[in-house]
Amino acid sequence: MPDGTRPNVALRSDEIERIVERLGREPTDVELYAFDAQWSEHCSYKSSRPFLSRLPSSGPDVILGPGEDAGIVRLGEHAGETYAIVVAHESHNHPSQVVPFEGAATGIGGIVRDVLCMGARVIGVADPLRFGRIDVADSHQRYVARSVVDGIGAYGNAIGVPNIAGDVYFEEGFDDNCLVNVVALGVLKESEIVHSAAPPGAAGWDLVLVGKATDESGFGGASFSSVTLDEADEDANKGAVQVPDPFLKNVLMRATYRVFEALRERGIVAACKDLGAGGLMGCSAELASAGGYGAEIDLDRVNVAIDGLPPYVAAIGEAQERLLWALPHEAAAEVLRIYNEEYSLPSISHNARASIVGRLTTEKKYVLRQGGKTVMDVDIDVLTGKIVDDLPYVECIRHEAASPELPAVDVDSLFPKILAHRDVCSREPLYRRYDWVVRGTTVLPRGAADAGILAPVPGSRLGVALAVAGNPRYGAIDPAYAAEAAVLEAVRRVIAVGARPVALTDCLNFGNPRNPEQYGALVSAVDGLARSARELGLAFVSGNVSLYNASAGGRSVPASAIVSCIGVTDDVGTAILPGLKRPGSALLWVGSRELAAGGSVLADVLGVHASLPEISYDAERTAIDIVRSAMATGVLLSCRAITDGGMLVALARLAFDARAAGRELGAELDFGNPFCEAGGFLCEVSDDSELNLTGILKIGETIARPQLIVNGSSFGISGLHQIWSRPLEELYP
Amino acid sequence: MKRRIAVLTFPGTNSEDETVRLLRDCGGDAHLVHWSRADMLAQYDAYVLPGGFAYEDRIRAGAVAAFDPVMDYVIDGARRGKLILGICNGAQILLEAGLVPGTGELRRPTAAFTDNRPSGHFICRQIYVKLAVDPGRSPITAALPPDATFPAYASNGEGCLAAPPEHLRELIGGGHVAFLYSQADGTVDDAAVPNGSALGCAGLLNVEGNVLALMPHPERDGWNFQHLDRRIGDDVLAPSGGAVLFRSFVEAVDR
Repeated sequence: MPDGTRPNVALRSDEIERIVERLGREPTDVELYAFDAQWSEHCSYKSSRPFLSRLPSSGPDVILGPGEDAGIVRLGEHAGETYAIVVAHESHNHPSQVVPFEGAATGIGGIVRDVLCMGARVIGVADPLRFGRIDVADSHQRYVARSVVDGIGAYGNAIGVPNIAGDVYFEEGFDDNCLVNVVALGVLKESEIVHSAAPPGAAGWDLVLVGKATDESGFGGASFSSVTLDEADEDANKGAVQVPDPFLKNVLMRATYRVFEALRERGIVAACKDLGAGGLMGCSAELASAGGYGAEIDLDRVNVAIDGLPPYVAAIGEAQERLLWALPHEAAAEVLRIYNEEYSLPSISHNARASIVGRLTTEKKYVLRQGGKTVMDVDIDVLTGKIVDDLPYVECIRHEAASPELPAVDVDSLFPKILAHRDVCSREPLYRRYDWVVRGTTVLPRGAADAGILAPVPGSRLGVALAVAGNPRYGAIDPAYAAEAAVLEAVRRVIAVGARPVALTDCLNFGNPRNPEQYGALVSAVDGLARSARELGLAFVSGNVSLYNASAGGRSVPASAIVSCIGVTDDVGTAILPGLKRPGSALLWVGSRELAAGGSVLADVLGVHASLPEISYDAERTAIDIVRSAMATGVLLSCRAITDGGMLVALARLAFDARAAGRELGAELDFGNPFCEAGGFLCEVSDDSELNLTGILKIGETIARPQLIVNGSSFGISGLHQIWSRPLEELYP
Repeated sequence: MKRRIAVLTFPGTNSEDETVRLLRDCGGDAHLVHWSRADMLAQYDAYVLPGGFAYEDRIRAGAVAAFDPVMDYVIDGARRGKLILGICNGAQILLEAGLVPGTGELRRPTAAFTDNRPSGHFICRQIYVKLAVDPGRSPITAALPPDATFPAYASNGEGCLAAPPEHLRELIGGGHVAFLYSQADGTVDDAAVPNGSALGCAGLLNVEGNVLALMPHPERDGWNFQHLDRRIGDDVLAPSGGAVLFRSFVEAVDR
């Protein structure tokens, strides 16, 4: 210990008793730190695991469901091979609140490694963000909102992974705790999957640690992310935030691609795992125990940045840009050569390298040695065992559907206010700092449409779409409803660009699970996700839980189940391109039109409370079928999911995109409440005669002038565009 | 017999795969060569330096990479008349190495690509590039029509060309400013320049015309599937847009 005191761990006294009982003795200090990380919420999912099993996790397109570092879904066939998409979804909330630039950058770094270590090439990222109020000058919230975006850009741009989707909300509920969620996609052939469990016959294999020299950064990260932030501790907590190095990661990724290739050439099946929470100890123990092995690590062989690193830091520190291989000894030399010589890691970053640090053992013990002494020796299954906290919770009361009480809607005065609303206005000032086109595979870039699309297999027309959703205004009213709505919106977004939804991922951002109400919100949200996914026949293939998103005063973030939907298409040439296409086509509203404004931008602008819209899964499925059949018959010219701000915002964005492409188009329409966010799609179709008109309302048609004429009020597209495009420019100049 | 093109990576390069792919789709025999295998470079007939953040863009974009030993081979190739194309970070490296505009001493840059104006931030934006010299000025541009205009992406943090005024006059007078940022219809105006680059300059040629440093990325708008305004029925996998420059480069290499 630095000052000779007992370890400063977040373990509760009952947990320490449990450890003493399982070990049959007092733990050593290193062991105490190891259990602290491994039994933290962040590693063990101890309060969420019992409920996560309620989520559907298998289906015809699922190749690998939850359980490893990332999930895998089928993409399609090309040149006789089955291609698959790897997807991971994570949060980096606590570090981003404390040290926004580094915290957010590290979030990208971690998620990218989760995808990489499955054997995939990383092809894209998305970033759902939730920030606090940004209208207070010189506030920490503004600093967070700006620096998080800079951190994500700096990291993603440098490693060369396009940012193709994401969203951002600015709400008071995130003043004390921002949410920085990140999603990453990778591509591989189904035959090339690398697992993170040591395979059969791996006894005696080498454990090869690769990457950055271990230092004190990120020590205690897992356990830090499992407690409530207290401003007084902020400086102390900063040390728990890892230091990102995208430059090293760039080279590490490319070297790892080369290692995949070399191992495939030699027919070697190895295991690979990202070093995340719990550092080398967590990673090696999980990799070994998942295959039924034990492990021995010699900490003297760990490449360190400073000599004399205490064993608990060398073992548990979460220094970034590292991963671990389990390899047969005869393959290790070639792997070391690729990393250390061909890609010269040691000359890229101080003492970065690949080195053999230990081996897999048949005896199921986890042993750490340093300086010839054994500093840890425990039953590996006790260390990595699935611990569960059985916590009390209060069932969330479902929001009662009340009759809507909205004043008459005055389009003339409301439309500009809604377009300029902080949750509606253009996000381009934010995402233009991200590279959306690197790798040369982007079909629909960030911001062009409801979802991004990539053509990830060179020479093939196969496409993958990605969208995110999770409206915090719903979350503040009804966690279960918000979760269901997030699934529906993410799915609609993928459909609106012409892809077929195949899988979901989630990140559950909630407050303190020891508060029965906040825990109840989590349970309700999981039930909502499960219901929505089942109704649509989709599975959750990966996900993440982030708890303790609450201030020291106990105020928790709005219930935030953030969902991403992955879609596929056999031909990126059929993607629905942005913007209205031609004058004289019919504008259709497909889907629910229930007049209910609860949680909407309209309600926020008017300052009223109103009921939430009812969800009818029959109506949802019908709407999806109609849109997909309109695509199949080729009559669908443009499409947008109806989300924040309602139908008129969706229409305005179609007109803005047409204008950007040089098509001066507008629309004339008539509709009762054009700001209703009940869901559904706004579609431009060349011919509606072939469509089954059940569930469809024709609301108007496109015109050859850059004007929107709504219920008799007329707006110029150029003026609307100015109103919409400017609000965030001040924050992101 | 195809002549071989080396796409040279540095630690931190990030656009090597798409650069190789588009060169190949445009008929070029392109191969990746890593900095650690500099000795292989002599076997190649032309060099392409792709985009990224070579050596983390420490000091200034391209400044460290310009002194990498691998650049000895590139500089030697340039003197022998090999065709060399640098894109974005590659352009910054060529400028920092003094290969363009080629009027000063090598590794003594006479101009620099610096922080974008006015934002000072990385920017990602589709832009258009217009040929500003006679196509015959360089073998690399020889197959382009006069006033050729094509789409590309500006994705950079340091794309603003900065130089003393007298040097900028030299650049124009010497026919070094090969490409300008423009509107889609070829109109050259301030609004078309994404990063405040002096004179609206998007690309620089050396005196001999065998080295081109191009700041924007043609390979990020080089296939039909990358065009948001593509027409139904277009072969989405066919090279187009920015590929016109890659074709001209490949033709010049094979000529």
